Amino acid sequence: MQARSRISRALALLALLGACGTEETAPAPPIALSEQNVRTYQAACAGCHARPGIGAPLTGVEADWRERRAQGLETLLVRTVDGYKGMPPLGTCGLCSEDDLRQLVRYMAGLP
Amino acid sequence: MSRRGVTRRELLLGALAGGAALGLPRTRARADSARPARLDGGPLPWRNWSGFQVCQPARRLGPASESELLAQLRDGGGVLRPAGAGHSFSGLVPCDGALLFLDNLTGVVAADAASLQAEVWTGTRLAQLGPALDAHGQAMPNLPDIDYQTLGGALATSTHGTGALFGSLSSYVVGLTLATPTGELLECDAARNAEVFHAARCSLGALGAVTRVRLQNARPFALLEETRFRELDAVLADLPRARTENRYYEFYAFPHSEAALEIATNETEREPYSSGGDDPDSLYLLETLFELTRRLPGVGSALYDAILLRMGTSEHAGPSYRVLTHPRTTRFNEMEYTVPAEAGPDCLRELLRTIRERDLPVCFPIECRYVREDDVWLSMFHSRPGFSISVHQFAEQDFAPYFDAVEPVFWKYEGRPHWGKLHSLDSGRLGDLYPRFREFLDLRRRLDPRGRLVNAHLGTVLAV
Repeated sequence: MQARSRISRALALLALLGACGTEETAPAPPIALSEQNVRTYQAACAGCHARPGIGAPLTGVEADWRERRAQGLETLLVRTVDGYKGMPPLGTCGLCSEDDLRQLVRYMAGLP
Repeated sequence: MSRRGVTRRELLLGALAGGAALGLPRTRARADSARPARLDGGPLPWRNWSGFQVCQPARRLGPASESELLAQLRDGGGVLRPAGAGHSFSGLVPCDGALLFLDNLTGVVAADAASLQAEVWTGTRLAQLGPALDAHGQAMPNLPDIDYQTLGGALATSTHGTGALFGSLSSYVVGLTLATPTGELLECDAARNAEVFHAARCSLGALGAVTRVRLQNARPFALLEETRFRELDAVLADLPRARTENRYYEFYAFPHSEAALEIATNETEREPYSSGGDDPDSLYLLETLFELTRRLPGVGSALYDAILLRMGTSEHAGPSYRVLTHPRTTRFNEMEYTVPAEAGPDCLRELLRTIRERDLPVCFPIECRYVREDDVWLSMFHSRPGFSISVHQFAEQDFAPYFDAVEPVFWKYEGRPHWGKLHSLDSGRLGDLYPRFREFLDLRRRLDPRGRLVNAHLGTVLAV
């Protein structure tokens, strides 16, 4: 468990660094975030999705997203907009458009 | 993992194994309260953090500069409401006009090492403010227990942490810049535009948009948070000592139980570490334990108490901004009233008695915090030190039966409602609670004569 936790933390950190543009140390992200959405990710998403141990699926951690991806992007998006369990509506980004949220969900979930 | 005794999770799961034998579900089936949004590329609905407040705004504004914001304000149009990060439970935000987000106005504008003051854009999330100030050799003296909010939203509702020597976030603002509803930019502090300054430090977003604030900070410091379960009677008897001997002190009382959870936080020189930290499922496990023990007449209540009081301790050390704030991945709705500090324990006891006598099926812990008095016109702590009592209900459940039953208890103790949390008071009742309320209303009329920033909720609480 401790090893998994350490791996999760390392992957989340790498994903976050990827969002900051340090491409030489980050795994290749499935999609690139716009400059605006990099800021949105850091302000609204990373607090939970780059924080191990609180129950949110971690960006870049394959095991956290495999079953969620199987539900399809549209389901993930609807749950993002409406809120679902611990996930707050709009991911607390009230300014985000549907396209913004679509890009952010794809980025975190590893969807092409 | 706890360093002493069984962990909270192990104890709860052990108790719930007995529940499985009785055919109880491990966790309550939770209703999905959201009606699925339609995703057709059109404007999205807006919902607050709990999902209770909803609206369909015609426009979303995200100005990238103060000049762009002023132009948007001068453009006129319908109702406009500043929205922050959407963490308020009350109806401060919903409108069908425009929602204003300052998400593009973030970060530290300037910092002064001598005075330990920093000017900060109010679109900054509290979670990002701690590291940003730390880079300048500064730290907020206190923080609320969550950090999802924007600084502007937290200030507009006098959001607070705990600590008898520490005021709400609004009390650490020593200067601010206000974009008025008519498109002017006002620089305000105790000497310049002093009336606006005292009102706009907690404005409900009714005076304009506060774009920048100058914060009085402290040097960076590290904290050790220690939590433990004790009997509530012992906690209340020990309050005079605990509230003064600890830098930050709060406790949670458990409805239908004799148990309480104490949290004492003090400065430390220890390296960052954590033991027995937050469990994302702990509140749902507690709920299942509560329902299980209620089905055991005669022994259930004693069993519930015994299990809670055997929970382990936990410790968490690190930078102040990491220790004072906590992740909240169980969503809820909340009502909070602040009563005079000396009346707090009596008010809490009457609340717990009301819950017990009416047999309200609630288990969500009740949060109790001390906050220092201040001179902010609409702060809940104006001219009197406060004891803030917060009651919560899971977001999937109807909060009305619970909140309706306990709100009159708060009124009896001259409670002032948190502006960002649920309450049913109108301007007439609120005016009796705040000595400067009428002056605030007069100032609002002068700054926003057309009522552009007034939605239905503000119309009720500010008599517009």
